[in-house]
Amino acid sequence: MAAKNYNIETENLNLWYGDFQALIDVNVKILAGEITSLIGPSGCGKSTLLRCFNRVNERYGNVTTKGKIQVLGKNIYDADVSLPELRKTVGMVFQRPNPLPISVYENILFGLRIHSPLRSLTRAESDAIVEEALTSVFLWDALKDKLKVRATSLQLEQQQKLCIARLLPLKPQIILMDEPCSALDAKGTLAVEELMSYLAGTYTFLIVTHNMAQARRVSSECIFMFLGELIEHRNTQALFETPHNSKTADYVQMRYA
Amino acid sequence: MDKSKIVFHSIALITLVVVFLFFWYLIENTHTEIGQQPTANSQQPTADSHLYLLLPISLLAILLGVACAFYLEERLPPTNWFRRLIESEVAIFTGIPSLLYGLLAVEIFVSYTLGSSGQGWGVLFYAEVLTFIVLVMPLTIRTTQAALRSVATPIRESAYALGASQWQVLSNQVVPLAFPGILAGCCRAMSRALAAAALLMGIHTWGYTHETAISAGIHSRYVLLLVAALLFSTFFSFLKENPT
Ligand SMILES: Nc1ncnc2c1ncn2[C@@H]1O[C@H](COP(=O)(O)OP(=O)(O)OP(=O)(O)O)[C@@H](O)[C@H]1O
Ligand SMILES: [Mg+2]
Repeated sequence: MAAKNYNIETENLNLWYGDFQALIDVNVKILAGEITSLIGPSGCGKSTLLRCFNRVNERYGNVTTKGKIQVLGKNIYDADVSLPELRKTVGMVFQRPNPLPISVYENILFGLRIHSPLRSLTRAESDAIVEEALTSVFLWDALKDKLKVRATSLQLEQQQKLCIARLLPLKPQIILMDEPCSALDAKGTLAVEELMSYLAGTYTFLIVTHNMAQARRVSSECIFMFLGELIEHRNTQALFETPHNSKTADYVQMRYA
Repeated sequence: MDKSKIVFHSIALITLVVVFLFFWYLIENTHTEIGQQPTANSQQPTADSHLYLLLPISLLAILLGVACAFYLEERLPPTNWFRRLIESEVAIFTGIPSLLYGLLAVEIFVSYTLGSSGQGWGVLFYAEVLTFIVLVMPLTIRTTQAALRSVATPIRESAYALGASQWQVLSNQVVPLAFPGILAGCCRAMSRALAAAALLMGIHTWGYTHETAISAGIHSRYVLLLVAALLFSTFFSFLKENPT
């Protein structure tokens, strides 16, 4: 077997909110270019784990993290790691679509603008970037005449796709998604899933979902978590069909019933 | 949790009592001369110009209040003791009806006008300034904090997750979105200060005969202040109803 390429690796990752331990000795390796789904009952620490990888957990103030997290082979707690750079490499999509309350056009460029010196983009360059990003998420045709429209007034599905599109100009390698479809209807969910499958390969996806069918449809790897612990991490099909751990089996069956 | 809340509230209350005692002391000490009647008005134009100083001072206090709110809300975690202390104070001071501030200001002012023999304002002027600061600053802090808080967390989160620094999040997103709210708060505070100044001005005319009052333009200034106060509060409700 060829050596596998991992984008994220953790070693004995422990995390506390105050004195409540939300992650317990998590060791995980996320395959590059694949879609990995994170499942588990509510409150088991899926979002917490996800937020470790771009260090947004730290914003909550009372968080203590112990252990090692390597992203693209680099320990993200090293002193020379710059947070803006890390968050450029590791993009994030949230549960509720959260485009900024500015135009579609400016939303796409926002990331670049904060990472590059003032006015370093010409008009033509920005136009090209916006078109490319919107085309990659299949939104260009729908939005090419609405670039000046406030992004928060779009349909939810379009907003969520826009939230994916605005990551792309930053050339991320990893995209974290926290229940990205839970605010969308069935059609929107399918559209986002299609988009993920289309973009997988170029980007590594890590997606938290409560929807088992979605995990099966979209991901090639699956992680089951329970009360802050990583219980099982295997190929999605294997995890669903022949779970090794009885907790996984219970959860998967209950969810399916 | 609850214990520390009680501690902070009591500290705030103690401050309030100390401030109250301070004013009471000042008033008691000047009331001995209340029997005097206002006779000449030779010194009063001085008092008048001092009165106008109160408005720029209120404006400064408002700006300081805005800065203070930014610091508390954006730089300190909600659990920080200093933040909680100031917030408790603010809650108490904004809870006092502005009528009481007005009465306090008038009381000090009248004490001065009746009691002064024109050797300058001294400590009473500072008391007056303090009243105005206490009148506008807590209100500004409170409304500015509310405006900053009203900028939804998802907006901040999404900007941070794209790698924005705190400064970028503030200057690009939070300030533009919170601006109407902040301005509304400043207007409300300014309207309070103007109304109090108008009140003082009205009281001030007691010292004049009708003719001198008119020739000194006291009445018209009084009306002007009231109108300005009215305008500010109208503007405030306008901003409140039309958040952009
Ligand atoms: N900011 C926080 N402060 C304190 N505790 C928190 C915080 N965020 C999460 N927790 C706690 O940590 C645990 C894990 O939370 P997390 O949000 O990671 O769960 P989750 O698996 O994503 O759940 P869900 O499926 O409901 O989204 C929960 O018990 C939660 O109450
Ligand atoms: Mg979650």
